[in-house]
Amino acid sequence: MTATAGTTTAGSATAGTGAPKTVGTIPRGLLVLIGVSALVAVVATFSSDLGLASYHLVLISTVLFWATQATSWNLLSGFAGYFSFGQGAFLGVGVFTMAVMAGRNDVNYLLAIPVGGLLAGVLAFVIGAVAFRLRSLRGEIFALLTLAVPFILGSIALNTRSIDGGLGTTIPTPDRPDWVPSFQHLMVLLNLGAATIAVAVALAVYHSRLGRGLAAVHDAEDAAEVVGVPTFRYKMTAIVLGGVLGGMSGAIFAMMLGYVEVPVVFVLYIPLFIILICVAGGRRHWAGPLIGAALLVVLTEWFKVAKLDQYRDIVLGLLLVGIVVIAPDGMFGRLRRHPWIALVTFLVVAGGLLASGYYAELDALLYGMAASVVVTTLAGLPRVERLWRRQATSDSPAAPAAAPGPGTGAGSATRSSTGFAAPPPPPPGGRVLVSVEGVTKDFGGVRALDNVSFDVTEGEIVGLVGPNGSGKTTMVNLLCGAMQPTAGAITIDGRAIKGLAPHRVAHAGVARTYQIPKPFTSMTVRDNVAMAVMFGRTGASYAEARQRAEQCLATVHMQHLADALPESLNLHQRQLLEMARAIAAEPAVLILDEAFAGLNPAEIDDAVAVIRRIHASGVSIIIVEHRLRVLQQLATRIVVLNRGTLIADGAPSTVLNDAVVVQAYLGRQRA
Amino acid sequence: MRRRALPALAAALLVASVGACSTREPTTDPTGSDEPIVIGSTLALTGAFAATGIIHKIAGETFIDRLNDAGGLLGRRVEWRVLDDQSNTQNIVPLYEQLLSGPDPVDLIIGPYATPNILAAMGVAERYGKVLPHHTAVLRPQLTYECQFPGWSIGPNPNRFIPEQLFDMLATLPNPPKRIAIATVQNGSAAFVTNGFDDDPTGVPTIAAERGMQVVVNEQYPVGNQDWTGIAQAVANAQPDLFISNSLGADVVNQLNAMAQLGYHPPLTFALFPAPGPVLGLSDLAEGVFAWSMFEANQPALDRLGDEAKAIVADFVSRAEAQNVSYTAFETQAAASWTAWEILIDGVKAANSLDDKAICDALHEKGADTTFAGHLTFDPAQNNFWETKVGIKQVQDGDWVMVWPRDQASAEVRDPRT
Amino acid sequence: MNTVQVVLSGAMLGGLYALMAAGVSVTWGVLRVINLAHFGLILLGAYLTYQLVTIWRVNPLVTLVVTVPALFVLGALLQWAYDRLNIVEFNSLLVSFGLLIVMIQVAQNIWTADHRELPRDINPFDTGSLSLGPIVLPYDRLVCLGLAVLLLGGGHLALQRTFVGRGMRAFAEDRTVAASFGIDHRRLSVLLGGAAGASAGIAGMAFMLGNLIQPSHAYEWFGIVFAVVILGGLGNLLGTLFAGISVGALSGLVGVLWSHAYVPIAVFAAIIVALVLRPQGVFVRRRAV
Repeated sequence: MTATAGTTTAGSATAGTGAPKTVGTIPRGLLVLIGVSALVAVVATFSSDLGLASYHLVLISTVLFWATQATSWNLLSGFAGYFSFGQGAFLGVGVFTMAVMAGRNDVNYLLAIPVGGLLAGVLAFVIGAVAFRLRSLRGEIFALLTLAVPFILGSIALNTRSIDGGLGTTIPTPDRPDWVPSFQHLMVLLNLGAATIAVAVALAVYHSRLGRGLAAVHDAEDAAEVVGVPTFRYKMTAIVLGGVLGGMSGAIFAMMLGYVEVPVVFVLYIPLFIILICVAGGRRHWAGPLIGAALLVVLTEWFKVAKLDQYRDIVLGLLLVGIVVIAPDGMFGRLRRHPWIALVTFLVVAGGLLASGYYAELDALLYGMAASVVVTTLAGLPRVERLWRRQATSDSPAAPAAAPGPGTGAGSATRSSTGFAAPPPPPPGGRVLVSVEGVTKDFGGVRALDNVSFDVTEGEIVGLVGPNGSGKTTMVNLLCGAMQPTAGAITIDGRAIKGLAPHRVAHAGVARTYQIPKPFTSMTVRDNVAMAVMFGRTGASYAEARQRAEQCLATVHMQHLADALPESLNLHQRQLLEMARAIAAEPAVLILDEAFAGLNPAEIDDAVAVIRRIHASGVSIIIVEHRLRVLQQLATRIVVLNRGTLIADGAPSTVLNDAVVVQAYLGRQRA
Repeated sequence: MRRRALPALAAALLVASVGACSTREPTTDPTGSDEPIVIGSTLALTGAFAATGIIHKIAGETFIDRLNDAGGLLGRRVEWRVLDDQSNTQNIVPLYEQLLSGPDPVDLIIGPYATPNILAAMGVAERYGKVLPHHTAVLRPQLTYECQFPGWSIGPNPNRFIPEQLFDMLATLPNPPKRIAIATVQNGSAAFVTNGFDDDPTGVPTIAAERGMQVVVNEQYPVGNQDWTGIAQAVANAQPDLFISNSLGADVVNQLNAMAQLGYHPPLTFALFPAPGPVLGLSDLAEGVFAWSMFEANQPALDRLGDEAKAIVADFVSRAEAQNVSYTAFETQAAASWTAWEILIDGVKAANSLDDKAICDALHEKGADTTFAGHLTFDPAQNNFWETKVGIKQVQDGDWVMVWPRDQASAEVRDPRT
Repeated sequence: MNTVQVVLSGAMLGGLYALMAAGVSVTWGVLRVINLAHFGLILLGAYLTYQLVTIWRVNPLVTLVVTVPALFVLGALLQWAYDRLNIVEFNSLLVSFGLLIVMIQVAQNIWTADHRELPRDINPFDTGSLSLGPIVLPYDRLVCLGLAVLLLGGGHLALQRTFVGRGMRAFAEDRTVAASFGIDHRRLSVLLGGAAGASAGIAGMAFMLGNLIQPSHAYEWFGIVFAVVILGGLGNLLGTLFAGISVGALSGLVGVLWSHAYVPIAVFAAIIVALVLRPQGVFVRRRAV
């Protein structure tokens, strides 16, 4: 239930019109960013003329600071889904760079800021290089790893007299240019600079291949790598960018604090607050952390001065619970569905309260934001939304972003399938595409594959069969580079794939599907396929990729579902999506891993037809399967594995009548 | 349509948060009106320092009520607006900025509790030119602002002063200690007594060496240390004459407990800033323990100070009891708090104005009269740290008693070894 | 001898860490709930122990009669709510952080921010110890270790041997499969949440035997408890027990051989090394691939 809300909104962002929203060639988000930054800068510079008090500048600085930190965290942890507790480490490196340089050695703060960013970037690189090299790294292991880092850094600082030594450091009030009226103005400008850079980076990442690749990592990392996303490099880029931004902003934070010591910086509270901002704001979009920071900073600042005494933390704690429970995927998703309602509500409530004169600015801000969130949440309730939609359809062209009717879908599918002039499959016996030579694979003491050799030549459909535990899955993993053989060599289209990362193997011409489909859950069917085009051998821009994705969807007869989200598909459709995504990479060889598992007979027939069409388009296929009936129909050749050894290789009729095969495979199955 | 409007919304929220701030002028300075004079501060009412923060809260409330009962200040009532900084230094700057430039800005400010927080608040006070009396900051070299006024003073060089005063006192014992074990917490409020400041390495070890004493154990441990056996074992093995715990709160209690489990009890113990109640909770183990102190409400001291002091102490104790505080005695923390308040009020009276420049000047010129620390004079060259009047207290018969220096002592130093 | 004493004391204190970590490890490993509110439950357990001992003037162990059921109910309620609202993984981290704030404030409102400790005349464990030749075994730590061995060892057996335990492990491996075998995950998770709560009550009591408590202590436990949880392997009670003892012993050893100031570096560096070398937990037997 909770997943639905988030993915729906994420889906509607990329579904619909097609190309990313741009004005001319500049993304709209960038214009907004420039506008807002310029506005804040102007407001801050002329704050006294506008009647802004110093405290307001502090509030702006605080929002900007946390927005920067949250954006920095979000690059890896939000976009790619690797939650980190280590943001305090990046921030802390920045803080202590400033403390040591400006506080203890009188170095100009303008130098300390980039140095802080650089050092934090180096730390991020080291963390990433260690963590992302781990084969079995899961999200929670990464979270735990990063949890330890701030503790270690804090302890090092505490034990190093030239950094902190348990004595703390005063950061002197910095000199400022004449045109900056006060210290707090300087803080706003520095924080604004950092925030602008951070958001610009996040915006650029979000709209780039990097951003789409990270989103794919978030949804299904194995599948992302297999369609050609260089996941390691992308994760490293994200963590290092985040580290640099976090360190820069940390150095500025030290100036805001004025006095720094270890317990202020290396505490779990900081990463928790940052995570809270991103969760409350929304993690999958660059604007989420901004919304979250504005909301939560104002909320907590309000609570700090609210006269609730000993009930303050109780109310605040319950509110935090409420925010996560109500919007586990973030406020941004709700606000973006009804932006005008959100904006108008906020302006009316906040403005009204201010105009009444009875409320302080912070009260008005908080109540305005709260009202905005509440109203958009209410407006988003299905019952209310139905009313709203009915009235809105006439003037809102983008409103029903759902799939077009089945009629049009079926029509276009038929059209394109007839238009898909199937070239006759190239005769078997041509070029050798896959060559497996003497491959052995050990797991600890267990030998999963023992000296296996076979070839796949152009135009073949090879069935790879064997009972459970025969080594089929291991073979698939070796073929697509997810594992390395203990001995032997695999060549794809004449190129040895030894030591290549799976995405490189993908580029060498191997595509695969998964027995349990692994779609990119936050993307529409069309975008799922487009990912494979973008990151495939030839590569393509996002817009191009989406067009080519249509053809692939037509091949599997899924065109009418192009705008649907994967979770609305049934198993058969998901398998077809797997196939569409696999052929989108224009592979030389397609490996189908148990593509018929769990399908009913009608669906199997349909799948067989699809596979024939794919084959007809010139792709050689390896089918990993234990259903012999299907293979007899489809395969041009069958390779049989049993307990890690190859026991037969030949034409289906020959192999299936082979005594050894019957003994090993059928005999066991009958028993 | 909707998609396009989205970034605009993000923008609008930011813009609105900025724009909305500008719509209201801060209330003007109410000098001369019948409005109360508002004094603002933060205190550690929750979090790690809260056990001491509550003492400062009760002391401040007692002070303000007594001030108003006596006719207020400049003929106006006085109000104290105290915000909770959650013991977190991060909160200090925003909260003091809020007090000074938020809606209904305060007229005067007073410091928060604990050195790091005071240092952070000092930055704000300096930018606003506000007088900042504070209760308990110890790192004199870092307190550089000319209008900050300490409510306690450990002299110009606390890292030298504290060990010397301790060793002076111990030298009067029949058999002064020769071998010293030190355990130091890595916290800015305590570590300097062992390690010195910045480039100045003066501390217990160097001064002990100057005086021909031998440091047999010098252990440092992080805040939040859990296992005390190692330190206890190291001390027990070394068999020192004196154990110095340069620590805060309940650390010394844990250390003595751990030593007791090993069947060891140091002959002499000195603790820097212990939580007074828990130390007394050690009952027999605590007997004879020394600690740093500014004031203890012992009868002889109260007799010396007179009825006003007695009434203040009684008032404080009854409020502390009502608030369910476990150790209700009026001692160092409360006295430092009281002194800080008196400095502020005396300054205002001397300047006859709420103008901070005038108050600051008046304090530099005339000093301040305080109940528990007497007349204080402030020299900006010494960062306003007045001639120290601090001393050493000792647990005697289950209670803290001031024993040093002699002119402030309520009882003789007892040698727990006899 | 010195080193042996310190390492042994540390290892026994490790029993307390293991007691604190058990609940976090199990709810995380089995239920995918990262329950920071567990620290609040330990805090409440400690304060309840203090309150009951002060009123009844009984041996602190006796108070378990009340604290364990009380915290079982609280833990079960909490888990029921997480389950109902479908709060798992990192959302549970945030929700439970909010709840922790609430619990700490409630504790402070009731018991103030003062240090509280068990009255010395009724606490037989605080300064006494058992002497074995040159080695001294403090009573409070003996109790911690004993309770840890009993509770975590017993819990491990329960998870291994009983039907409910197997159901839980099946549930941890694969929810849908477990459900198809007729395992009622709601009831199981509430039961497990309750058990975690009960363990928090015991941990709170064990903490009070040799320590003073303040509301803000809940935060101070984070580092060491997570260290134990990580090293032990999520959801592995026996691993958690060994991890607790090892972390305690390691802290003691580093303190003796190097400096107490370097204990945090050693412990957390050990975590990183352990995670890199054995991401499934140091004390977990490697599963066949």
